[in-house]
Amino acid sequence: MASTQHALLSPAELAYLHAALSLTPPIRPDGRSPAQFRPLVAETGILPGTNGSARICFADGTEAIVGVKAEVERTRGGYEGEIVEGGGAEEVVTDVNDEEKKGESDWVEMTVEIPGLRDDDATTAFLGAMISEALLADGGFSRRLWINRRFHWKLYLDILLISPPLSYPLPLLSLTTHLALLATRLPRLKSEGDEDPFFDDDWAAARYLYPRNKKDGKTTARPPVTLLVMAVGNNIIFDPAKEELAVADVALAVSIGEDATTAATATGDDASLMMDVDSTTAAAAITSARNLRLLSIRTIDPPSRLTPSGVPNATNTAYGAATTQKQPEARTAEAEAVEGVWRAPRGGAKPLVMAALVHKVLEKGGIADEVLDALHAVDLG
Amino acid sequence: MTDRRRINGPVGATIPLVFEDVEDYEQVATKAARSRAPNAVRKMYLKTGVTPSASGSAYLEIETSGKGGVSGLKLSCTVYGPRSLPRSSPFSPHIILSTHVKYAPFATKQRRGYLRDPAERDLGSHLEAALRGAIIADRWPKSGVDIIVSIIEGDQDRETSKTQGDEAWDIMNALSGCITVASAALADAGIDCVDTVAGGVAALVRDTADSSPSIVVDPIPSEHEKILASCCVAYLPTRNEVTNLWYKGDLPASDMELYTKLVEKGIQASTNANRVLLECLGETVN
Amino acid sequence: MPLDTSAYSLALLRVDGRRWNELRRMHAQIRTQAAADGSSYLEMGHTKVMCVVTGPSEPGPRRSAVGASGGTGVGGGSGEAAQAEVAVSIVIAGFSSVDRKRTARGDKRILEMQSTISNALAGSLHTHLYPHSAINISLHVLSQDGSLLAALINAATLACVDAGIPMTDYVAACTAGSTSTYAAGDEAADPLLDLNQQEEQELPGLTVATLGESDRVAVLVCESRVQVSRLEGMLAVAVDGCKQVREILDRVVRDKGRRMVQEGTIEKGVGVNDMEID
Repeated sequence: MASTQHALLSPAELAYLHAALSLTPPIRPDGRSPAQFRPLVAETGILPGTNGSARICFADGTEAIVGVKAEVERTRGGYEGEIVEGGGAEEVVTDVNDEEKKGESDWVEMTVEIPGLRDDDATTAFLGAMISEALLADGGFSRRLWINRRFHWKLYLDILLISPPLSYPLPLLSLTTHLALLATRLPRLKSEGDEDPFFDDDWAAARYLYPRNKKDGKTTARPPVTLLVMAVGNNIIFDPAKEELAVADVALAVSIGEDATTAATATGDDASLMMDVDSTTAAAAITSARNLRLLSIRTIDPPSRLTPSGVPNATNTAYGAATTQKQPEARTAEAEAVEGVWRAPRGGAKPLVMAALVHKVLEKGGIADEVLDALHAVDLG
Repeated sequence: MTDRRRINGPVGATIPLVFEDVEDYEQVATKAARSRAPNAVRKMYLKTGVTPSASGSAYLEIETSGKGGVSGLKLSCTVYGPRSLPRSSPFSPHIILSTHVKYAPFATKQRRGYLRDPAERDLGSHLEAALRGAIIADRWPKSGVDIIVSIIEGDQDRETSKTQGDEAWDIMNALSGCITVASAALADAGIDCVDTVAGGVAALVRDTADSSPSIVVDPIPSEHEKILASCCVAYLPTRNEVTNLWYKGDLPASDMELYTKLVEKGIQASTNANRVLLECLGETVN
Repeated sequence: MPLDTSAYSLALLRVDGRRWNELRRMHAQIRTQAAADGSSYLEMGHTKVMCVVTGPSEPGPRRSAVGASGGTGVGGGSGEAAQAEVAVSIVIAGFSSVDRKRTARGDKRILEMQSTISNALAGSLHTHLYPHSAINISLHVLSQDGSLLAALINAATLACVDAGIPMTDYVAACTAGSTSTYAAGDEAADPLLDLNQQEEQELPGLTVATLGESDRVAVLVCESRVQVSRLEGMLAVAVDGCKQVREILDRVVRDKGRRMVQEGTIEKGVGVNDMEID
């Protein structure tokens, strides 16, 4: 999957990179600390023709735009093609409790466009599946799209990578999607109960998909974020650039969600509830007791497995090694590692290393906390 | 994309009606509960060399736990290669894997088209990640190998209703089967691997609405009230290494213990599958 | 009929309040992206496009395969390696139009636009200076409101300027239409400049791109039925519009250049010194 975008680095460069990243503390090519992210520029609401949009530009120049469009769709019943029809007047219940609002995963459609890759490329499918998987993991997201028993919102997420894919685009696309969803607004519903939905024309009255606190404009619940973590030697490195990923021993994409203490009221139908929540206590609750949820983990096939291996001087004919080498000897030579000569990693990762990676993301005051804090600080306008 | 080259079935599918006897009624109405112990995997049948024309092939069957003898998951894998890459492709110092996972149109309750959908492509990339860790890729420079897995039956009981169980969880079982069968087929094709890799699934389930969640190995989604989280692990037992890990669900991050246990159970399931795999390969050798 | 022609004949104002010879608000930026060799962002009214240019670079082995499969419009002598190949790919975002519509990449209309842009730019760029190489222009449509092809050509020109690829002059594009439909048979119909989506759907129109300040036409696309007698007027208006567009593009480039000199991003060399900064 990652094979389509391996960095063109020589074995010597790879060996150097690997050695530099294995030091304690690691020396990264761009001088960042292991847990430091690349600086980025973000803006939301850039496209008035969409329900929500966002653009993020990383400092290395990769750029993505996400647009969200929503359409009203009929909810299909238990049997194929059969429409659930509202019953008699006595059946019209205006107050449906949260438990009854059940979303389905096909209410969200996601497309990922990466320049230079075909639509049906494995990488595109993998990225799309990863982002939507995290979004739909708890079923809470599709519940937000519920209008009434007969209708729901169908959400189309179009994720465009504008720049050529210089680094593995997952963190960029995930962050952009996150911001676009935060900026997404749906028209205010005017109709009641199970009648055909009818909406308020006034866009200013439209409600946010993730409701906000009226006082400070901060949301209480947030869409998930996917982070890329990798391990080299004994070091754990976040937000790896392409060159760093090229020498990774193992790379993981970890999706986390935030389950704020006030999320229960946020999902409620009535936005006015939000005004009652005291902003200071809400903010305090968020920072003190952030309820992180672990939503999905995927191993990213590190491109390091596809890098060319170096040839040690001992076996290099140009350096006077015997030219007539027998096949069995070549096999044994292949097995032993020589200091400073790059060898593509083989096999997988120790379960403990993987657990350490995940732990590093999720621990209190860890990376997940840091990223979410930073996202809280983004002015959503 | 529409498929214009084949004759396709009607778009709107119907489910065949299942008429129930009165005495069966109770049985069907109540959800089939898990009959195995929490850490027992289902029985498995594996055979290599089923397709003579391919360089390597394997066939895997896993029984349904509902009724004995009725298989739930049927997979067939064929491996073509290693063979030289086409002239036009650039130099590669390693063997290039291409994995295709395809559900047969009739494998699931919902009919699948002939073209691979995104979920199947996604399975393909998971499988590729799992196998690439196991293969010693630099022994075959400038060559490629095609690994094709067809899911003939997708582990969905006909008697469960459509709303029961969730396809999103079924896919984990399918992936673990794909990894095991592909590993067997690779061994059959004589492609050097560091170890045999096998897949295993573990899930955190809740059986009734108010019971506390428990971890089970090799879950069948329709047997449980709700699956909270599930993970599929591809594991190399002799090296104690994981080549692919896929976790999905909703767990509180404060409880790392739960996650660690889940992965451990997944590894356990994978080790069990590996035992079957080794036995099967041993039989072929003898 | 959304375009109220009766209102037009009374006040001589179009649906969006413009006169017949007025362009919509045009806003452009160059060097919007650090990673690309050249990039631009262009708005023509509500039509918004982004362009990223990579190259001239060594053509990848996959490139030709993509071209052959119909994914990319290839022009400018793709066969002979004596000239650089200009490959254009257009991605129309699903959210760009009012109703969400997903356009496949192999769409015939997109393919045609790709080859039109590729041919137009290959004529202006000095492709012979870069043998055995490829210039990849990737265009993203973020919002559509008429005159799409013209906006794409303008954005591509700006991005090529930003990439520093030698070219003879700007390729500036614009659309023109006529105030009444073909069926109306109105001989006295006035020409209109720079159509928006609504006008484009209702009225006959054409897209023209000219080479710099000259009247030389680089692109002329007319996909609607219109009387020959009206064509000349439309063409004249469009060519005039192209000149206005060229002025705007030129100003964008000069402003950016001046700012870069001020910020010290580039040395004020001989080339820049020669450039009259007005």
